[in-house]
Amino acid sequence: MTSLVSASNVSKRYKDVRAVDDVSFEIEKGKIMGLIGPNGAGKTTLLKAVLGLTDCDGQLSVLGLDPFRQRKKLMQNICFIADVAVLPRWIKVTQLLDFMEATHPNFSRNRADELLSRTKVRKEAKVRELSKGMVTQLHLSIITAIDARLLVLDEPTLGLDIIFRKEFYGNLLSDYFDGERTILITTHQVEEIENLLTDIMFINEGRILLHSRMEALPDTYVELMTSGEDAERARRLGPIHERDVFGKKVMTFEGVDREHLDGLGEAHTPSVADLFVAKVKGAAA
Amino acid sequence: MIPHQFALVRREVWEHRSLWLTPAAVALVMTLMLLTGYIFASGYKELVDIGIVGAQNLAAEEHRRSGLTAFLMGYTVVFVIASAILTIFYCLDSLYAERKNKSILFWRSLPITDAETVISKLLTAFVAIPVITFVVIAAAHLVNLILMSIFIGIEGGNPGYMIWQSAPKVLFDVWTAVLLAMLMLPLWFSPFIGWFLFISAWTKRSPLLAAFLPLFVVPMLERIIFPTHFIGEAIYSRFTQWPMFSGVHPGEFFDEEKLMESHDAISLLSFIDIGKFLTSPAMWAGLVVCGLFATAAIYVRRYRDES
Repeated sequence: MTSLVSASNVSKRYKDVRAVDDVSFEIEKGKIMGLIGPNGAGKTTLLKAVLGLTDCDGQLSVLGLDPFRQRKKLMQNICFIADVAVLPRWIKVTQLLDFMEATHPNFSRNRADELLSRTKVRKEAKVRELSKGMVTQLHLSIITAIDARLLVLDEPTLGLDIIFRKEFYGNLLSDYFDGERTILITTHQVEEIENLLTDIMFINEGRILLHSRMEALPDTYVELMTSGEDAERARRLGPIHERDVFGKKVMTFEGVDREHLDGLGEAHTPSVADLFVAKVKGAAA
Repeated sequence: MIPHQFALVRREVWEHRSLWLTPAAVALVMTLMLLTGYIFASGYKELVDIGIVGAQNLAAEEHRRSGLTAFLMGYTVVFVIASAILTIFYCLDSLYAERKNKSILFWRSLPITDAETVISKLLTAFVAIPVITFVVIAAAHLVNLILMSIFIGIEGGNPGYMIWQSAPKVLFDVWTAVLLAMLMLPLWFSPFIGWFLFISAWTKRSPLLAAFLPLFVVPMLERIIFPTHFIGEAIYSRFTQWPMFSGVHPGEFFDEEKLMESHDAISLLSFIDIGKFLTSPAMWAGLVVCGLFATAAIYVRRYRDES
């Protein structure tokens, strides 16, 4: 089985609002999937369904388990860090490690000790005495010491300064990710993670707008910076989105051969952030 | 399951330091009160006087035992009341604080079921609080007997004769009785423990109010809407009938003078009736109610989507 997460026709409704609307996708083993969407797009709801924190309609299978009904088994092989899932402030670092060791079958105390020794987190400190950055380091160290197959990160670096954010993702890649493990991540700071993603999924208003391997993006999407008559000709090729930058037109094309755009301006692959805006605005238009 | 529960209950003790701080504070206050003379078994004053005039043999061993028992029991009651209040606050906080401080999602990211979590809170209320309180009580008893010995010694009495000759028997009797009572009391009041846990899991704000208001309002509504007293009676009877104590009304049980009169040497253990307690339908009915509330608490923690 290579598909770690498999969703087909998954929906979740809150009263009148369809937070997740008939979504189908697969996440394969060894991928780092970025789930990108504006606030209220359904990202968190989808993650909660994957983590078995909420029930949903349709078929959802995570590691071959029904996440909502087989949550305990699932949680032995899945970890998550969410900006809302905070470590209890009253606990001491050593107590937390003792507790993890006693309750988590896949937790390695030695690994956690080793990872923590590289940080400034004092073992005898209570969580409330640590800075926000250190708490995140502690959380990541604990998660990394769990031999889990899927790691879910929901805005893991919210409220951290740039140094901690860079370090977080650096550690994530060097200590956690080994090609066998899989990561599902959401964040607003897309620019910071786009280099580490292998796959990407855009979600808006509960629906998936795009689901692609990162490598495939240049084949499908082109951003063209152009002006004047060239812009007029380019526009006839049907860009999905157009914006003004310093008096020039920047157009995003989907599925248009780069050859057709040659000579019409400067063509390159759009950044994930720009592509996201183009897809969301394009879908709305 | 069992090592899990051990780790979970240990976590409760880490989180709720009041579990041992409360009895420790009571012990400290009681010891200070003893030192400053606010509590002292009045019988002992007489015994000391007798001892001083050299007629120590006038006091029979049973009387010394009774005096000691009465002193230790009066002393222990304060701990029992404190642990009851502690249990109420602990239960109300146990499933509320984790939602308030948002650590619930961290706990739920671990392979621990909601049922295991709620069971660990029940075990804390039924076992950890009584046992911790008991250990503090026993330690406080010893410290205070030592302090009394010093006091008697200074007054010119013989503490070895007045206290320590009877102490082993008295302590065995009192400690066994206190431990049994401490374990039976939460079982008897289990419907309240279940109710407080449920409120703690369910309420969005002010658990104290949400827990206590219905205890008064619901019986009144029952009287207004139906002409029955079923719920009010059920609540009231928990405080008036205690099947773990034989032959005494709860009020009498704490009446030292009556106890002194009625027996030559009081044995606290003789008041404890395990058989009557274990065969009490009301006790088992209470546990069923507790189980229902605890199940509701598990259900709420499991299924409520709070975002």
